[in-house]
Amino acid sequence: MPTLVQKYLLACLLLFSLSSLTTANSKLPEPPAGILKLDAYQAPPILLTDIDGIKYNLNETKGHWVFVHFWASWCGPCRKEMPAIQKMWDNLKTQGLKIALINTAEDEDTVFNFLGIYAPNIRALMDRDGQVTEKWKPRGLPATYLVDPTGQVQYQALGGRAWDAPTYLNFIKSLIK
Amino acid sequence: MTIKNNLFLLTTITLLISCLLITTNVHAESKKRYQFTNKEIRVGITPRSPQQMAAFYEGRGFSNEMINALIQPCFFTVGIHNKTSDILWHDLSAWKFTNSNGEIKHLDRAYWKNKWKKMRIPLAHQSTFRWTLLPEKLDFRSNEHEGGNIILPYSKNKFTLQVAFKTKKDKSGKLIPIKIENIQCQR
Repeated sequence: MPTLVQKYLLACLLLFSLSSLTTANSKLPEPPAGILKLDAYQAPPILLTDIDGIKYNLNETKGHWVFVHFWASWCGPCRKEMPAIQKMWDNLKTQGLKIALINTAEDEDTVFNFLGIYAPNIRALMDRDGQVTEKWKPRGLPATYLVDPTGQVQYQALGGRAWDAPTYLNFIKSLIK
Repeated sequence: MTIKNNLFLLTTITLLISCLLITTNVHAESKKRYQFTNKEIRVGITPRSPQQMAAFYEGRGFSNEMINALIQPCFFTVGIHNKTSDILWHDLSAWKFTNSNGEIKHLDRAYWKNKWKKMRIPLAHQSTFRWTLLPEKLDFRSNEHEGGNIILPYSKNKFTLQVAFKTKKDKSGKLIPIKIENIQCQR
């Protein structure tokens, strides 16, 4: 049987843990319009290969914020958004942000031709049968999530966003600082 | 004038008339759009012809067998914009399409999943197809736009669409009803 002192210490420990969690969450900045703050949840796994066949595992990016983006070449808003992602990436890639640019269920030729035009400097991950995309349950395509350094999904963008605009750049900078 | 010159003139005129007819047809197709809009919501419906759908899915590498299945029913591309400052609940099962013969059920994801499974369609094509469909359910956030296709069994009769969207996080807000009449399948 725990003594009264032990019970008191246990209660203090529990309270401390809860307050730490709340503080960690409240430290996250309020997102700009078009980005939702989610009730954080563990990111579904991403185990894919890129267009050159090199393996990618989302788990290996722990310690960094990750910009997870799902797209397809046939989707109009994806075409519109991709150049902004390229500019955002050019701006932030040396500042600690990681990116997972996931093509949903298309082939290498389509992806190669598309990215050559819209985002030539970003490594494309191939979700060849679309099953990784399914697990993330996006609202539609394009879909963007921001995953925190512990692997929790914290934010979701609604549709395509002008990621190279100061509002969004500054928001992502405030996360990775 | 020689026969050669006459033939050249005839060919030129035929080509010009063909171009004019094609242009007119494209404009006629793009004009067929149905819309409901008020200060709370905008719902737009654009009928798609079998040729448009076949061209789109051929471009994605779909097999002839799959395309043949897709050009039989009626395709409508639907766009929804939540103009309220609250959540607007979309639930495709609440959409009522009716025509002179009564209610028409849309061909939902389960229908297509079953069909593709029987036809042994590759997962990649099934996935692409699913992403072109309007979501079955979605909590539209303030100012969110989303869209996708709705597929109905073919009918030459005109449809009426009626649906009421629930609002607020707990769905307790006021209902937003919409009605769009005289929707027609594109053939």
